[in-house]
Amino acid sequence: MTRKKRPEVLVVGGGAFGTTLAALLAEGGKTTRLWVRRPEQAEAINRDHVNARYLPDVTLPPALEAVTDLKRHAEGVPLVLVVVPTAWFRDTVRELGEVIGGDQVVVHASKGLELATGRRMSELLREETCARKIGVLSGPNLAREIGAGHPAGALIASRYDEVVERVQGLFLGSRFRVYGGRDVVGAELCGAFKNVIALAAGVVDGLGLGDNTKALLLTRGLSEMARFVAAEGGDPLTCGGLAGMGDLVATCGSALSRNHRFGVRLAAGETREAIEADAIQVAEGVRTTAAVHRRATAHGLDLPIVRAVHGLLYDGWSAGQALEWLMARPIGPEMAALRVR
Amino acid sequence: MRPQDREAVLVDVVQRVSERWSRPAHAAEHAVLDTLYEERRRLERQANSADTPERRALYERLRREAPKASPELQREMLRELVQGFAAEVAGSFSAPVYALATRVLPPALNVLLNTLSPLRLLESLPGGGGRLDEQLEMEGETDAVKALAGRATLMFVPTHASHLDSVLMGLALYRLGLPPVLYGAGLNLFENPLIGVFMRHVGAYRVDRTKKAAVYKDVLKAYAGCTLERGYHQLFFPGGTRSRSGAVERHLKMGLLGMALDAYANNLRAGRPRPDVFVVPCTLNYQLVLEAETLIEDFLKEAGKSRYIIVDDEFSKPRRVLEFVRRLFTLDSRVHLVFGRPLDVFGNPVDADGTSRDARGRPVDRRRYLLARGEVVADRQRDAEYTVELAEAVARAFQRDTVVKATHLLSHTALGLFRELNPERDLYRLLRVGVDEESLDLRTVYTRLDAALARLSDLCVAGRLRLDPRLARQDAGALVGQALAHLGSYHRAPALFRRGDRLFSADRSLLLFYGNRLGEHEALREVA
Repeated sequence: MTRKKRPEVLVVGGGAFGTTLAALLAEGGKTTRLWVRRPEQAEAINRDHVNARYLPDVTLPPALEAVTDLKRHAEGVPLVLVVVPTAWFRDTVRELGEVIGGDQVVVHASKGLELATGRRMSELLREETCARKIGVLSGPNLAREIGAGHPAGALIASRYDEVVERVQGLFLGSRFRVYGGRDVVGAELCGAFKNVIALAAGVVDGLGLGDNTKALLLTRGLSEMARFVAAEGGDPLTCGGLAGMGDLVATCGSALSRNHRFGVRLAAGETREAIEADAIQVAEGVRTTAAVHRRATAHGLDLPIVRAVHGLLYDGWSAGQALEWLMARPIGPEMAALRVR
Repeated sequence: MRPQDREAVLVDVVQRVSERWSRPAHAAEHAVLDTLYEERRRLERQANSADTPERRALYERLRREAPKASPELQREMLRELVQGFAAEVAGSFSAPVYALATRVLPPALNVLLNTLSPLRLLESLPGGGGRLDEQLEMEGETDAVKALAGRATLMFVPTHASHLDSVLMGLALYRLGLPPVLYGAGLNLFENPLIGVFMRHVGAYRVDRTKKAAVYKDVLKAYAGCTLERGYHQLFFPGGTRSRSGAVERHLKMGLLGMALDAYANNLRAGRPRPDVFVVPCTLNYQLVLEAETLIEDFLKEAGKSRYIIVDDEFSKPRRVLEFVRRLFTLDSRVHLVFGRPLDVFGNPVDADGTSRDARGRPVDRRRYLLARGEVVADRQRDAEYTVELAEAVARAFQRDTVVKATHLLSHTALGLFRELNPERDLYRLLRVGVDEESLDLRTVYTRLDAALARLSDLCVAGRLRLDPRLARQDAGALVGQALAHLGSYHRAPALFRRGDRLFSADRSLLLFYGNRLGEHEALREVA
């Protein structure tokens, strides 16, 4: 084999979305490596060019190389894209922090909050690495559709223009359109929050309540999202973009969403513990609901949908109970809570 | 400043500022005309300003010639203006005096104490011979500061409550054995009868805040930048002005802090042998603030939009300063100066040996933040954002290193209780209405203080803030006694005084001022 070009991107995380992004970059001619945890998985990807466990229907470009030594491959690579579940995020980036330098760009695409602390993933990156040039990629990105080459879009948010431009440049010419923004807090919270609403949407579908109910849920969910984002110091307008509204629409309408599927099973009367026991993939919304609920309470925010989903997951509420509780709530002016005080 | 550096700095400053304003083509013309305009307005405002006839003549000539001058000539005119400003800023700096101050510091200290002696301050003190510096207690990273001072250029960035801050910083740095720091002081300080002499000894250079021309501000910045690059430690107040509300500053001036990064980057590019610039956040903590009355009045009047320059406050009245310093002694009111952990220009903490550390304590190669394709490269947006992160780190240090004192705690508690008595009143009414009639039950105050002390101790243990060591040992009764001795004695009207078993306030604005130090603290404001 001829000597390889210097790698441009290391994608950290061999789940469905990480693999999809890595494949997209490799197809676009970017020298990309995909870090996966298990050596067998790396071998299989390099041999068969398919990620059998998480993305079985997509043939990966031969140029995409899977690796398992995180520190070795993160060292000096201009851009690291972290796509691991929030539960393993801190440990993973702590390891990255051993080798990352201030010139490197670190972007993550993990939607959720750390369960124990309620912190955002970019906060974990700041705590566990010396990186400053940090960004978040978030949007309606169902891995299978992107893998199939359908057009899609996302938001890259960073305080650093360089990060925005670099990430936009990476995907330039692909069918993945990346819009830029500055609101890291908003982008991350949208991505986390929508999983809570997606769970609720699954419940609505599981109960067979129909499109009106779903639209009611999404719209009021968006309102709760915007209030939460504003309380946390983000820009509520971000919620109207790809990371917020866009992702809500895609996730809540799609049977491909893990959170949605989780909600459907909740509606059928299964308990959280039972569903979690036999799921291959992580439904981020389950942990995120706890973290969001805790932070919203601390802010003194009244977010009924979050409260109801929390009830379903953690307080033994049935789907019917949650629905009745929501319906019994007093009704105020639609935009009151969003207006600037 | 070393005499040989003075000329070089001047040349550098003129070069930098002129260059900055020479592109695009019309920039020089605009800069000349804007400067002349701003200067004329200033001269109209201050008919009796100290400007020399030469300067007025220069302005007059440029005003006649500038509009029809060629672009080259306009650039030359700009140089003349810049040269004038630069000479003024640097000119106030006396090389022999600085050299003396550097080599023989005790005389400099005497100068400080003697500046107060026209009033026979020292003799008038009870017990005699008490000195301001005995009331100054230093804590924190003094060893790291001393160690780093020899291997890097330090930028000291303290909280700002009083004009006495720069005096105390000067004393503290002297005690640590550091050479004088450069400090851009307002003209009003130079003209102050008590402190003018001292100002020149701490290494102060003149900042004329009445000069509004952008070119002048650039000269100041370039002067600070050039001297920073040449290794002169500096003192800046990153809040920009004394805190009007009494709260510790949370919004800092990016322009000042950003100079540290620029200097570091320039040093790296120039391959200078000692390129590092570190920022040292410091807090100054007083039981009583000399200018509290003026500051809080200004805060309330302008609802936070502080006048940038107050020339007519307590500090300009020697009798008030005397009274204040005398109080510090009679009350044995220690001023705590905390040196925070030094930071690199990206906001990472730095060890005494100059190693930057990440949040996990791992060493960081700070140079890499400035690299692009292996070279040190400037990127305005990136560097501005680095500076925001530095400012956030400094602001966090200010919070952590705030020393809560008896007057802060009692003021905060008392104002809270007055608020509870009048739930319907907004802040402004609360401060003004019913002040003479209402009073607080001392037992309630004790109960609240005990609870507050317990909570503050927890926060202190958690490293969120600091407690005056005396306060940590006291019960509520002793705390109230100590706080009342302060609050009831120095200010024109007692912020709080005791009658029987009740507490009265004659000036609730002062309660707000001292209470804000605590009430506006992040640890008490944030959600659970």
